[in-house]
Amino acid sequence: MGRRWIRWSHKRGMRSSVVAFIFLASVFLKLCFGIGSYSGENTPPMYGDYEAQRHWMEITVHLPIHQWYSYDLQYWGLDYPPLTAYVSWICGFVANLINPTWVALDSSRGIETDSSKFFMRVSVVVFDALIYIPAVLIFSRTWFGARSKRTQDLAFLLLILFPALFLVDFGHFQYNSIMLGFTIMALNFFATEHDLLGAVSFVLSLGFKQMALYYAPAIGSYLVAKCILSGPTDGGRLFIRLGFVTVATFMSLFLPWIPPFSASPTLIIDPISRIFPFARGLFEDKVANFWCASNVIIKWKKWAAQEMLVKAAAILTFLGFLPSVIVMGKVAWDLKVWNKSPEQKLVETKDDPKPEESSSHTPILPLLPYALLNSSMSFFLFSFQVHEKTILLPLMPLMLLFSGATPGSEVYQWGALGSNVAVFSMWPLLQKDGLSLPYFALVFLWNRVVGYDPIGIIYTAFPFKSFVHLMSAGVYAAIIFLHFSEQIISPPDRYPDLFPVLNVLVSTPVFVCLWLWSIKCCVQVSWALTGPSGFEEADGQPQHRKHLSIAVNDASQMRTSFVAKSDRTRAVSLGPAQGKRVRRSSTRSAAGTGSSTALPSSSSVFRGTIDSSVMEGRAAASPK
Amino acid sequence: MQLEPDTSSASRTTWLDPSAWDILILSTVIKVLLFPAYRSTDFEVHRNWLAITHSLPISQWYYDTTSEWTLDYPPFFAYFEKILSIPASFVDPKIVDLNNLNYDSWSVILYQRTTVIVTELVLGAVLLKFIRGAVDPPTQRIISASLFLHPGFLIIDHIHFQYNGFMFGILLWSILMARNGSKLASGILFAVLLNFKHIYMYLAPAYFVYLLRSFCLSPSGRIEIKNFLALANAVIAVFIASLAPFALMGQIQQLLSRLFPFTRGLNHAYWAPNAWALVTAVDRVLLKYAKSTGTDFHINLAGVASTSRGLVGDTVFAVLPNVKPLHTFTITLALQSIILIKLWFHPTYKSFLTALTLCGYSSYLFGWHVHEKAVLLILIPLSLLAAERHAYFRTFVIATVAGIFSLFPLLFTPAESNIGVLYSILWFALLYLPLSKRVYEFPKSLSYVILDVLEKTYLGGFVFLQIFVAAFPVVASWNSRRDESHNSENSMEFLPLMVTSVYCAVGMVWGFMRLIFIYLHEDTAYQGQLSTIQ
Repeated sequence: MGRRWIRWSHKRGMRSSVVAFIFLASVFLKLCFGIGSYSGENTPPMYGDYEAQRHWMEITVHLPIHQWYSYDLQYWGLDYPPLTAYVSWICGFVANLINPTWVALDSSRGIETDSSKFFMRVSVVVFDALIYIPAVLIFSRTWFGARSKRTQDLAFLLLILFPALFLVDFGHFQYNSIMLGFTIMALNFFATEHDLLGAVSFVLSLGFKQMALYYAPAIGSYLVAKCILSGPTDGGRLFIRLGFVTVATFMSLFLPWIPPFSASPTLIIDPISRIFPFARGLFEDKVANFWCASNVIIKWKKWAAQEMLVKAAAILTFLGFLPSVIVMGKVAWDLKVWNKSPEQKLVETKDDPKPEESSSHTPILPLLPYALLNSSMSFFLFSFQVHEKTILLPLMPLMLLFSGATPGSEVYQWGALGSNVAVFSMWPLLQKDGLSLPYFALVFLWNRVVGYDPIGIIYTAFPFKSFVHLMSAGVYAAIIFLHFSEQIISPPDRYPDLFPVLNVLVSTPVFVCLWLWSIKCCVQVSWALTGPSGFEEADGQPQHRKHLSIAVNDASQMRTSFVAKSDRTRAVSLGPAQGKRVRRSSTRSAAGTGSSTALPSSSSVFRGTIDSSVMEGRAAASPK
Repeated sequence: MQLEPDTSSASRTTWLDPSAWDILILSTVIKVLLFPAYRSTDFEVHRNWLAITHSLPISQWYYDTTSEWTLDYPPFFAYFEKILSIPASFVDPKIVDLNNLNYDSWSVILYQRTTVIVTELVLGAVLLKFIRGAVDPPTQRIISASLFLHPGFLIIDHIHFQYNGFMFGILLWSILMARNGSKLASGILFAVLLNFKHIYMYLAPAYFVYLLRSFCLSPSGRIEIKNFLALANAVIAVFIASLAPFALMGQIQQLLSRLFPFTRGLNHAYWAPNAWALVTAVDRVLLKYAKSTGTDFHINLAGVASTSRGLVGDTVFAVLPNVKPLHTFTITLALQSIILIKLWFHPTYKSFLTALTLCGYSSYLFGWHVHEKAVLLILIPLSLLAAERHAYFRTFVIATVAGIFSLFPLLFTPAESNIGVLYSILWFALLYLPLSKRVYEFPKSLSYVILDVLEKTYLGGFVFLQIFVAAFPVVASWNSRRDESHNSENSMEFLPLMVTSVYCAVGMVWGFMRLIFIYLHEDTAYQGQLSTIQ
């Protein structure tokens, strides 16, 4: 439906206003969500996340900064980093201007008037519009810069209509879009080679919610890889600058708690201890991660001590994101240009018609979304104290990949499956919040908009097409079955949590598969990127060239070689433009023109073009 | 969302093409999300009618006064409620409990809101039929989609709560039958509609004249006895089906007194933006002027009292002579007869459609105690004319913007009112952009240019009006906080409503003048695609 609509509006001469329409329509939908229930509506004395956020506005407006992290901690004490507190202060300030009773200290606890609710809902929508939406818009314009306007608009639409985020932010009530927006903004900066700004942006994301730490291994290893890539002098300089900027941003966020701005040097402990609550359990409620799922069989909490579990979680998480870090490092090492001998460089430039500067563009950029998926998913699966809402973090890079995927491709299928299952994994939470109706409505609408048909997938499960297809069919069947049986059967007294546990058992395997898939993709992308040097050592150049020429010349026989297939996969996932170019150039080279300099270098921000130009060069070279 | 046939993926065997599915799904999702939204008393009114029709024998329906919301729609609607009450009693027996007043549990909300969505499918089906056999299917597709997604329905049916979508579905069905040449069916359907809701009497004169002239009389003016008898008998049969049970019980008198309560005032609580709103506003301004300058007017003291009561209650003029129901009827009928004479001599489909709109329009502008919701009676048929020519399109735009804006005061809770505004903007933009290109005509002379600028200025003014309406309560609360005293607050409380009403009334009256001018002068050359239908 999204595709159809964008095509229609482009045809009808509304091309320029499509973005505005999408934006307004999303605001409208968000406000419609705002009419519904939210976390802890009408449930005194503690209420829920909504009240927590409102309470923070109340305390930040009325109390001096040094009390923010210490005031009446029993009642929703502030436990997010300072940027959240500052945002709360802004909201509180405005609320105080409009109607002071909404945020009166203490006396406003649990206030739920029509106008205060509307104010709160609007505050989320406004910050979303200020941070997440511009970030996503720029993302669709930079990362898909080499692709058609329609694809960009569609990507924008799909990223705005992020179902899990919709349900959590505009239904359940939180401000996750600010954190995700800053991270996406960081990715945009990386894509346009403003690494320092990217680092600042990511630190802001971290400074809003510590959960952004899930991305830190990927972002960190990307930046380090970038330094390696640039050589000892440039890279070293970049490294020092990055370090400085990062620390400076952190310092400025925590400034009010650091002497000389704070009264005592120990004050900094307040926010830190609030932000990292190691005292809480391994997991809360039911969450679709490794610990909770395996808890059905192994009762971790009885079996091992708290400290042991913390350590085990840390180690497993580390092992979980290690592959992407290693791949990132290896690719950077393989692609580094600075230690090649002059002859090698000469050969390279002869082979590759692209001018030398092109390698200053970050060749490892296509790895980044997969690395983000890998690291955040491993945190989600294995780390300590994970909430079901945290699935938003692994989902974000998946949605970034999904937004540019062509229907039916592997990335598309994984993306749709991931998103649907993620929303399903939050079902117990949403049900508790009274959001069942928006849940079904949104899932329905989203699948329609992206043109995905879960029911159809169940019907076409056999004969076997691909692993992801079969898995999707099974998972959707299970989900539909669970939804129905939950309405009909009430759980036995012995297992009151039967349905949440079954939910976890259905969702977790999908997330584990997504995690494995992200590793596989990292490796495949790395092959696509470092193909030449990696295979030169193993098989010798001619062999490798044969592979690539298969990949390039015969699109229909992609499956003949694994390398070829992986190249194709990349081409599809990160930019069909890349695939198209490869094919076009291959016909051109077959026709003997062999020229491949026609690529618009302006669009080469997106690594895909460079990639294809590399291949093009190779393809052109191979018949010789 | 997509409004053009998708030939690539659409299998022609399915009865709904993908774009129709898209629109259906999108609109249903929006409506479902609005389930928990604010509900007006009409919600309880309809729940009470479910209870009345379910738990009382038919002889008691029009006598029951357990709730203050007595049954005051014609019998078909009562039967309709009776049918709806049967599943309701299974869903939750408390819904149909007569004494369970103001019941608002989740079950009743879910049930009643769902019935609105489901019955509105009649509208959707008819609109789809409109596309098939249209003179210009792609344009009709846009118009059909816009009607199905009309903000008026969203605001009145799905937030405020009524069943207009269903009933306008019947009206459009009847119009469709007229377009397709089955005038007998058209007449029957309209008779049925009248027995659902008698407000459609506003449109009856046009139907009467059109069917009489084009169906019961031959083009040369000879009477077609067969047609006449068929139509007359069919209509009488419909009325008998509706009224017979009550006539047999001798309750017609009671029924009519319920349907036509003549005890109400000239204006509804919130002035519908019609001619009387303008007159009332002039009266208020004159009164202010008289008070401030001490000019010697004859001031009606009851009228002064009436102003201080704001908008609630009966309207009595302080300076101008008072208006009686008889006056409003005379004016309405006079205007309608002009239109009907034209229709009599040009009984084509398009002429009928315009006359229908104008009949509704004149009743709306000059009728007694008009509800703002009645504006749909103008906007819906007018939409069918939107893509005719630039002149029609312009009229449509002005009337639609003013008419829809005048519905906003129905939603006074902050979330719902903003949703209504935003939805209307989106809807309007998605309709305006493709249609305006299609019908654009170069202005013929300087006067057209001036008119164009004035109209655009008027339309632009709605932005400022909305800002004013939205900001007024906030500023007012600031002021009241500042000086703590509540001197003039109460009299100013209704200012945004009055300004809205008057500003919209200007557009509505201007739209009426435009349309009637176009209608009476339309004889020459090319007049739009619908003229090809006889």
